[in-house]
Formats: sequence, C-alpha cells, structure tokens
Amino acid sequence: MTDTSATTPTLEVSQLEDEVRSRIEVDDSSRLVVSVFWASSLFWLTVATFAGLISSIKLHSPGFLGGIEWLTFGRIRPVHWDVAIYGFGGTAASGTLLWLQARLCQVRLPFPKLLLAAGIVFNLGIAAGTVAILMGHSTGIEALEFPVYVMPLLVLPYVAIVVANFTMYVRKRSSHTYVSQWYLMAVTVWFPILVIAAEACTNFGAVDGVAQAIANWWYGHNVVGLFATPTGIAAAYYLIPKVIGKPIHSYHLSLLGFWSNAIFYNWAGTHHLTGGPLPAWTITVGVVGSMMMFIPVITIGINHHMTMLGNFHLLRTSPTLRFAVMGSMMYTVSSFQGSLEALRSHQEITHFTHYTIGHVHLGMYGFFAPLMFAMMYYAMPRLMRQEWSSARLIKIHFWCTLVGTFLYGYAMCTAGVKEGLMMKDASIPFLKIVGMTIPYLWLRTFAGLILFTGTVAFLINFGRMLARHRVKFADATLFTSQRSWGLMMAQDRALRTADGEPGT
Amino acid sequence: MLFVFMFIWSFALLAGIMMVWLLAWAIKRGEFQNMREGSRMIFDKGEPIGKVTDHFPGTPAGGSR
Repeated sequence: MTDTSATTPTLEVSQLEDEVRSRIEVDDSSRLVVSVFWASSLFWLTVATFAGLISSIKLHSPGFLGGIEWLTFGRIRPVHWDVAIYGFGGTAASGTLLWLQARLCQVRLPFPKLLLAAGIVFNLGIAAGTVAILMGHSTGIEALEFPVYVMPLLVLPYVAIVVANFTMYVRKRSSHTYVSQWYLMAVTVWFPILVIAAEACTNFGAVDGVAQAIANWWYGHNVVGLFATPTGIAAAYYLIPKVIGKPIHSYHLSLLGFWSNAIFYNWAGTHHLTGGPLPAWTITVGVVGSMMMFIPVITIGINHHMTMLGNFHLLRTSPTLRFAVMGSMMYTVSSFQGSLEALRSHQEITHFTHYTIGHVHLGMYGFFAPLMFAMMYYAMPRLMRQEWSSARLIKIHFWCTLVGTFLYGYAMCTAGVKEGLMMKDASIPFLKIVGMTIPYLWLRTFAGLILFTGTVAFLINFGRMLARHRVKFADATLFTSQRSWGLMMAQDRALRTADGEPGT
Repeated sequence: MLFVFMFIWSFALLAGIMMVWLLAWAIKRGEFQNMREGSRMIFDKGEPIGKVTDHFPGTPAGGSR
C-alpha cells in the first residue's frame, strides 16, 4: 500500500513552490519594462496636471502668464489633454496591460528589450508632440492635436505592445481566459483601428466639414471608452477579488458586460455633436448607443460592488483597495452621468457648458486614474521586491485624489447646469453668465491644486521606490505567506552565488 | 481619396470579422463554460481564496475573511 498521508503534503508543497516561483519569475521578467512605463506615466501626469492648472487659472484670471505665447490658453489646454490621455493614460495603461497579461497568462514578458525601446520612443513622441503644440504646431483637431509627423513615434511603439500582448496570450499556461484578459486583448485591437481611422479622416483629410467633425468626436469619445475604460475595468476585475481574496460576484455578468461594451460603446460618440449641423439620425444613433451602455455599466457595477459587499472594512487597511473601489464606484457614477448626458433633453441645458468638462474629469480622474494608481500600488512592491516607503504619503495621495475629484466635479457640473439654464434665457447678458461661473472656476483651480498635491505625494513615494529608499523586505503586503518569502530569498541567494557574489 | 476610404473600410471590416471570429473561437474553446473555475483562476495555493493580499506598509495584515 502507498502511504498517501506522506506524499500528499509533499505534492502540495511542491505545487505551492511551483506557483510562487512562477509568479516571481513573471514579475522579475517585467520589472524593468513595466517600471519604465509607470514611472513615465507619473511624470506625464505631473506635466498634464500642471498644464491643467495653468489653463484653469487663465479662465478666471486671463492675464496670468499672458505675455508668454507658448503658454497661451489655446496651446496649454491641448497640452493638458493630450499629455493626460497619451502621456499618462498611454503609458499607465500599457504598463498595466503588460504586467497583468503576463500574470494572467503565467508567462514571462516577451521581447523585453524591444518593449523597453518602445517605451523610450513612445515617451520621446509625447515630448516631441508637447513641444510642437507649445510652439503652435497643433493640428486643431481635439484629442488629435499632436502634429502628424509625431504620430509614427506613438504608433510604432504601440505595435510592439500589441505583438507582446498576443504573444503572451498564445503562450499562456493558464487554461482559461480571465475576464480582464478579454478587455486587454480588445484594447490592443480597438485602439490601433481608432487612431488610424481617425487620423485618416481628420489630419490626412480623407473627409472634411461635418463628416470630419463626426470622425473627430467618434474618436474623442472612443479614445476614453475603448482605450482607457477597458484597461481600468480589467484592472478592477483583477484587483478587487485578488486583494480581498474573493472571486467576483458573477462571472456570467462580467462576460455579458464585456461583450455589450464591445458592441455598444463604439456607437455613442456622435452625441457630442447634438445641436450641431448633422443629419438627425447620426445624433439619434449616438443617443441610442449611449442608452444601450446602461447594460454593461449596470452589469459591471453590480459585479464590482457586490464583490465588495461584506469587505468594505478592508478599505481601512488596503491602499490598493481604496483606489480600486474609488475607481469602480466612479465608473458607475460617471457612466450613468454620461449616458443621461447624451439625451437631447439633457443636452438642451448642459451642452457647450462646463458640465461636460466636469464629466470628463469624473471619468478620467475619478475612474481611470485611481485604477491605474491601484495597479501601481499593488504591483510595484512585487516587481521591485520592496515595500512602499511611506504609508502617510499613500494616504495623502488617496485623500487628495478623492477630495480633489469631488470638488472638481461639483464645481464644474454645478457651474454647467447654472450656465445652461441662464443661457436659455435670452434676456440675460452673456457677460453676466460668465461672471456667475467665476467663483466655480476658482474652486476648480483649488481642486486642481489638491489633485496636484496628491500627484506630487505619489511621485515622491514612487521615486523612493525606484531609488530603493528605506528598503523594507519583510512586510506582509508583499508576500502573504512566509513560504513565498523563503522561496524568494532562496532564489536570490542562488542568483547571487551564480554571479559570484557573496551570499547574504 | 478612394484609396483612403477603401483602406478604412477594409480595416473596419477586418476588425469586425476578427471580433466575430474571436467570439466563435471562444465559444468553441469552452471559454463560456465552467464559469466557476474561470472566476477562481487568479487564486492559487500561495494566494488562495480567503487571503487578503494587500495592506498599508508597516501595519498588520487585514486578516482573512
């Protein structure tokens, strides 16, 4: 007879060792590439927030930096948006994609040198585009202001990311495709199509006039919804269950959410042109698409919030969870707001007002950015094998992000509604309406300052992580089992011995 | 101009066909079956269901459910 009581625990220990070793190998393979993408994303977030602050101040104090042509509103505002979406969003989302896909596929990151080069070239592209806009070379097409000659520096590196993404998927060791992987795969299909089609229709002049405006806003809406949003949702579907140790509430709903998002989001962009000189049916298509978006938004919302049910006490102790839950809650809020905003009756009041700006920031800084922060707070200690140096800085970052986003949303949405209602009354002079918005514009600048403070706090913590400041190896955040920790140390010793270094 | 339009439409058509093919492939591969197992693939023996895997540095773990 075989003594199973002795062999079974040994098998379990062996399996545990394999799983932990595999996780460590995957993280080690992506350390440099993902760190470069995320470090650059924080740099660009700082630049974007600073540019946003200057733009915001100029709206209530027009003389501010008025003598510097590089910093006029028409240049600094496109810098704010393009650097936020491509500089911060592009690099944060790419880092997230590469790390998460490697983890879920349980494979090493392929082509690290190529991806590193891609990250460097992409950053050069963002820098070149930013300088070009500041010099006055903007194309004038919203969200596509970078001159055409800069685009190869952004598109070619993304090809490397697409190739790496599919390579990992083809090589994957896991038998199932997790819901986050659906989103990550889709992003790398959707985004290149969006950019190529929009560039062709706008900056390359395939169409002009009203048709160009349609293409512009089809892109402007989808760059948020089919690039930033899927990456954020993929992060939430991984982080929330992983941190609290509980599978997502309904896996069926998660897949329904993905496919309904894939089918409906693409149609919603034309609602940005309600009231414009477009055929009515094109607007109606956008309105219907926006209404249909309630299906994915509700299914995703149910899944995220029901998964958290009974675990909200962990928000006190987990930095990752704080940002992830903030992001997923704001996804529900901003998506409901966005769908309702598409209605013609709603647009009668809020269109062409500050309300839209408030909505965009609730989406980008309330939903997408916190989920990218959550991903960095979770993954960086595992990539660098080092704990965050300051819990206080993490808390400052979180509260600044939360308070700043709410203040910003309140200021802009309230100002927008009041502005819209006043504009419907023809007897009110326009200057009086502008005067009414000024206290709200000051409040926005204040909110921007709070957000900027939070960004700086994160930048300091991130910089300390890269500089190995106050290294702490033994915190449980990193590896929750002592066995994992022991394995990692053993691997380290083996590597050092192989390199001829004295063991520790 | 005609070339650009043909390029865009071909590209869009290709993307649409790819998505339909992907959906059919996923169904055939059984991706929409055994959902329970799928939702648990992010856990393993080192980080199992019930284990909290993140907390502030320098503070005790959040504990298990």
